[in-house]
Amino acid sequence: MELFDALGLNGKILLAQLINFAVLVWVIWKFAYGPIVKTLNDRQKKIEKGIRNAAEAKDKLAEMEKREKQVLDKARQEAQEIIKKAESVAEESKQEIVQVAHEEASKILAEAKKKIEQEGQQMMSEIKKDLAELVLAATEKVVGEKMDLAEDKKMVEKIVSEIK
Amino acid sequence: MGLNISLSPEVLFQIGNFPITNSFLGGLVLSLVIVLGVWWLNRNLKKDVPGKFQNVAEILISGAFDFVVSIIGSEKKARRIFPLAFTMFIFILISNLATYIPGQAAVTLHRGEETVSVFRAVMADYGMVFVMTMVTVILVQIIAIAVHGPFGYLGKFFNFKSPLSFFLGLMDIVGELAKIVSLSFRLFGNIFAGEVLGAVMLFLAPFFMPLPFLFLGLLSAVVQAFVFAVLTVVFVKLAAEIEEEETLEQASI
Repeated sequence: MELFDALGLNGKILLAQLINFAVLVWVIWKFAYGPIVKTLNDRQKKIEKGIRNAAEAKDKLAEMEKREKQVLDKARQEAQEIIKKAESVAEESKQEIVQVAHEEASKILAEAKKKIEQEGQQMMSEIKKDLAELVLAATEKVVGEKMDLAEDKKMVEKIVSEIK
Repeated sequence: MGLNISLSPEVLFQIGNFPITNSFLGGLVLSLVIVLGVWWLNRNLKKDVPGKFQNVAEILISGAFDFVVSIIGSEKKARRIFPLAFTMFIFILISNLATYIPGQAAVTLHRGEETVSVFRAVMADYGMVFVMTMVTVILVQIIAIAVHGPFGYLGKFFNFKSPLSFFLGLMDIVGELAKIVSLSFRLFGNIFAGEVLGAVMLFLAPFFMPLPFLFLGLLSAVVQAFVFAVLTVVFVKLAAEIEEEETLEQASI
């Protein structure tokens, strides 16, 4: 056809150009478009994963902090309780000790008093005895004669005890 | 030196009985350049930290892909048509831009009486444009047959329901044929006219006068590449669309 000749259309060249173009499409498809789309998708996935991981790590950190605080609070509370308990125990034992000491002291005091009293009584009785003898001796000297010892002594002792 | 303008590409030499024209040779060389670029890109592809070239390629491809998705409306369909449309865009763009490498007009070959320029804009060869146009048009017909079925496809052109729809069906045939002409001559005409205009301006006033036309040509170089690829996508979208009427018919069956 004249038009085709004028435009320079030649069957062989057209075929060659078609094959040329087809190869070009295939090359760009296989080696540029495909790999780049894959790379872009991979990168997108990676970024998404990274962001998700970061968010998860943040959540975990917050949770850990919360738990740490809880543990600390609990420990503090327990320590407070232990201190309180120890204080009360100490107070109790103190009171006990004081009481025991008081008791002991009063016991010792009582014993001492008793002992003093006993000693006083003993002393008194000894004095009385001595006094009786003294009076007897004095009376003997005054009276000038020896009296019956047993009878006199009884009488003097009775008098002395009446004096008291 | 006379002004040498030829509508058809000139034959440089013959291999056997296979004529090698200047634009065919240019197309081969530019294809080789693209293949080398792709090979280099593929070899240096890094997963995590892209280099400069990969960055540009990524922006170009992901941007173009999003654009195709916005036209087609479905990512699955876009993934199928994208490689073809994107190759058309890149090939036409690089072919058009390659004509701006200076000094090409000076390289000529003497074949007997006539002098033949070795370099010619690839898209100023109607053959190359025609091949790509036919790829688009035939692909569109195949998609239409696959979507509507063979009878649905033929029924669109031969509709005997009423005289009006019969006439409109015939008009659709004309429309399909017009696609070939409109798609191919838009690209070929723009680039060839740009070449001719540039040559004429260079012939009339070699200094400064051609500059505005060069800028204009630069604009149309990018725009025509874009338009050709986008029209391909749009035709495919139209062919793959099921019209409302048809879905109603299918639902009633």
